[in-house]
Amino acid sequence: MNLIREIYQSIVRRDPLSTDKGKSELVFLNVWLHIHPAKVKREHMKFTHTFYLGFITFFLFVILVTTGIALMCYYRPYPPAAYQDMKDLQFVVFMGPFLRAMHRWSAHAMVVCVFLHMCRVFYTGSYKKPRQFNWVVGVVLLLLTLGLSFTGYLLPWDQLAYWAITVGTNIGSYAPLVGGQLRELLLGGHTVGEAALLRFYVLHVAVLPVAVLLLTAVHLWRVRKDGGLSRPLWKLQTVKKEQLVTIGAPQETAPLLVQPAVATKTYGLMEVVTGKPIFETIAPEEEEDAVFSFPYAFVREALALMATVTAIMTISILFHAPLEELANPAKTPNPAKAPWYFLGLQELVSHSALLGGVVAPALMVLALLAIPYIDRNPSRQLTTRKWALGLFTAFVVVNLVLIVVGTFFRGPGWALVPPWVHVVGGAE
Amino acid sequence: MNRRNFLKWGWGSAGLVALVSAMGVSMAAVLRFLMPSVFYEPPQAFKIGTPGDFPFGPPTFLVDEKVFVFHDREKGFSVASAVCTHLGCTVNHFSSDQKFHCPCHGSVFAADGTVQHGPAPRALDWFEVTEARDGQLRVDKNKTVPPTYRLMV
Amino acid sequence: MERRLQQIFFALSFLSLALIVVAAWQANTPSWKTYQHRFYELEAQGEPNAITKAAMLATPPEIHQQMLTGLQRVDRCTTCHLGVEDPTMKDAPEPFRYHAGLGPHVPARFGCTICHGGQGLATDKASAHGSVDFWPNPLLSKEYIRASCGRCHKEGEVPGVPELTEGRHLFETQGCRGCHKLNGVGGSIGPDLTAEGANHRSPDWLERHFLAPNVVSTGSAMPNFHFSKDQARALTYYMLSLTSEDMGSYYSSVRLIPGPEYGRQLFVEKNCITCHNIGGVGAKTGPDLQGITRQHSPEWLDEQLVNPELVYPGSSMPAYDLESNERKALLAFLSSATPSDAEAIVSQRPTKLAPEDIAIEAGKQDFSRFGCVGCHGTELQGGVANPNAQGGEVPSLLHLSDDYTKDEVIAIIQNGRTPPLDNAKGPMPPLYMPAWKKVLSQEDINRVADYLWSKQQKKKEEAW
Repeated sequence: MNLIREIYQSIVRRDPLSTDKGKSELVFLNVWLHIHPAKVKREHMKFTHTFYLGFITFFLFVILVTTGIALMCYYRPYPPAAYQDMKDLQFVVFMGPFLRAMHRWSAHAMVVCVFLHMCRVFYTGSYKKPRQFNWVVGVVLLLLTLGLSFTGYLLPWDQLAYWAITVGTNIGSYAPLVGGQLRELLLGGHTVGEAALLRFYVLHVAVLPVAVLLLTAVHLWRVRKDGGLSRPLWKLQTVKKEQLVTIGAPQETAPLLVQPAVATKTYGLMEVVTGKPIFETIAPEEEEDAVFSFPYAFVREALALMATVTAIMTISILFHAPLEELANPAKTPNPAKAPWYFLGLQELVSHSALLGGVVAPALMVLALLAIPYIDRNPSRQLTTRKWALGLFTAFVVVNLVLIVVGTFFRGPGWALVPPWVHVVGGAE
Repeated sequence: MNRRNFLKWGWGSAGLVALVSAMGVSMAAVLRFLMPSVFYEPPQAFKIGTPGDFPFGPPTFLVDEKVFVFHDREKGFSVASAVCTHLGCTVNHFSSDQKFHCPCHGSVFAADGTVQHGPAPRALDWFEVTEARDGQLRVDKNKTVPPTYRLMV
Repeated sequence: MERRLQQIFFALSFLSLALIVVAAWQANTPSWKTYQHRFYELEAQGEPNAITKAAMLATPPEIHQQMLTGLQRVDRCTTCHLGVEDPTMKDAPEPFRYHAGLGPHVPARFGCTICHGGQGLATDKASAHGSVDFWPNPLLSKEYIRASCGRCHKEGEVPGVPELTEGRHLFETQGCRGCHKLNGVGGSIGPDLTAEGANHRSPDWLERHFLAPNVVSTGSAMPNFHFSKDQARALTYYMLSLTSEDMGSYYSSVRLIPGPEYGRQLFVEKNCITCHNIGGVGAKTGPDLQGITRQHSPEWLDEQLVNPELVYPGSSMPAYDLESNERKALLAFLSSATPSDAEAIVSQRPTKLAPEDIAIEAGKQDFSRFGCVGCHGTELQGGVANPNAQGGEVPSLLHLSDDYTKDEVIAIIQNGRTPPLDNAKGPMPPLYMPAWKKVLSQEDINRVADYLWSKQQKKKEEAW
């Protein structure tokens, strides 16, 4: 018995979870959990503040990695074996259709959620000083997510995949000076072929996931160093300036509230951090608002994970991932459409290749990256941010409209056709 | 609330059971997923032709399937593996001594497949041969039979 | 709040358990397992031996597949069609019924889809029969299934499929090559038909097209040849057989090469005796062919048949468009041909040809084989509609000598010609004379000109 206890205690070295010290140690002695703070602020963890979109995006990524690795056991990244393997997954592999559906719908969901997360961060003004660079990291993560989705799109090697990537890479080739070279680098050739499939596969299963993991680590680390999740908007008014205490500020703004030690309270040294202190503004009542991450935050995270997983599973049981005919370079479907998140781009390109395909998206990305630096208003109050909110909302709406038009309102020849009109296909 | 109260609740324990079961079923499903349902290999059971295709006397060697087909005038058919049990080389059968000789390390197997000489650890396998409904002979490498097994047609 | 959250968490746990069980159950009960179970029950019904019966019923369900590397496909049809090679199942209900008449075409070597079409990789009925979106190759209906024989059996009579021979014959004699390329030879007015069988057109469409080209393919310049229904069907069979199946060595082995009898048939068909002799019997223009297979290597002889001028520059032997198995058959015949064979062939010919007639005869053959008859007619009468060309139709060639010298005609054949327009502002006529200098050798073109000149009707004489 003692041996069992000895073995257990050599693995689990913290105090029991019934103690405060134990609850804290669970977090900061554990390699997987110590990205969390030992304590979180209850108000900041409310669902209606963040909608847990960041968590959900990350959990979707985890689902994608696990289903992706499973699918890799049955997939050969060279044509035409790739297509045959898709058919095998569909007809022969146990739960093949289900896993494939999980992977595909999680991918679409991740693109949607990362976009919604970006909107949430913007609307709550959580990109403002000192969190500017984290916004930039986030935008890069958005681009990497799109890249992952785009590279994965080619892998089934069906008509949808082949032509979507042909259109997508052709849009990219319009970039001035480097466009052609970039396209050749990506495709490993002049057209989408064997080399392209292999490169896209390498990007999709190795390069981009590792990049996402590394940058996610940076992203979460910076959130921690910035003081955790931002204060919810509804709390912004209630903080009275006089009461604010800025720790480590060059001059003191208000005296620190000091309480003598009490025998009934357990004190522990949470962290010793060297270096320059970070500016953090807290209100006294927030001291009481702090709760231990275990179980408060973890229960919510677990719930978000369960909700995400069950939602994806439900969708995957109801809707199978599509698979069209084998890729045929000689036969272009009409219309040939890029993946849905690039349809807005394709719509722009149909009006002007250079302006629509290169200038507009480049400006959009640059504008996104520059937001925290252009926005000189330090306040997060919605009432003071009318311009910023208006511009951003316009940006979102325009993008959505372009995507909707590209998806539903464009028929053969890229002609404008309302979706309720039945388009008669060719005779053969 | 502490854990004891929580679990007393029925809710908690049922939920925990559900969660653990879901994880268990998922684990089992993943394992089953990883087991292949089809094999991109030559089939283990196959037809080799009609009895009339095989002459009496020296056995017929089938190259791709790596088996010897013996057709005895009195006793009928038997099928022996041509794969040496030592390290997998293909053995030869010589009519002069009715024995199987492996060219790689010199193992010699008697007419019934038992090891007479050399590094081979076990006797050669004999496979089940049956008559299919269309009159062809069907060999099943998944089913080994004793060396005395014969199919009379 | 915490309690509510935990309640939701465990509700979701139940839900996730239910979902994973549903997903696993769905994956574990595919329709093919049901079919297999029913088949084993059917099999067990007729089995008297109780032990064997029990073993049959206990057979674990599994997917049966044929890996056909030679045909570059994988077929799983026998997962459900379990009785295909079992004669006792000849009255069983589908999908268990016995497939009579397979002969050597067993599933282990040929699979099923090479003849029947469909989607071999699939394991449910609708997908496997190809009647789903995004699979362009559905099952061939009973009426057309025999056309698949032509995918491998590309030469000679195919037993049981006279439509293929008829279709081939029609193609060669009705002038299809004049507008359509086949295996690199032919005109460019219509689409290349070399792999028409792989275009996944429905057999029904093909047949209707042959009966009324302009109606089925609107705006087509293809004239209506007034084929009968049987002829249209024969041509459809031929079209369906034009696939470029890459066949592994097993399939293009000796089993497919027709023997010396077919070689003799070709020898007569191509009129070799017109120039050659066997042991002195026959014409003296070309060399004696007796024992020729012992004098030259098979590769040399094969090359001679493909490209006579390469071996003997200036040779007057035409290039015959023979497939590789046809050439092998001819050489098989020649390896055993004797002077008495040649005598028999000569005596069967209607008339003896004089040397000057040789070139004309060869020219006539070329005229038919390369499809000139398709536009200019088998009697050189012309008459095929050509909107907005002067005269509104393809001209007759019976009066060429009135307007052109022989050299001018040779130049037209070499370089082609667009017809003069009736209305200069109107659209280009769909039919034009193609340039043949890249397709036909100079010798061939000269022979065609000789043939045309032999057929000229002198207008001036008639006027008298």
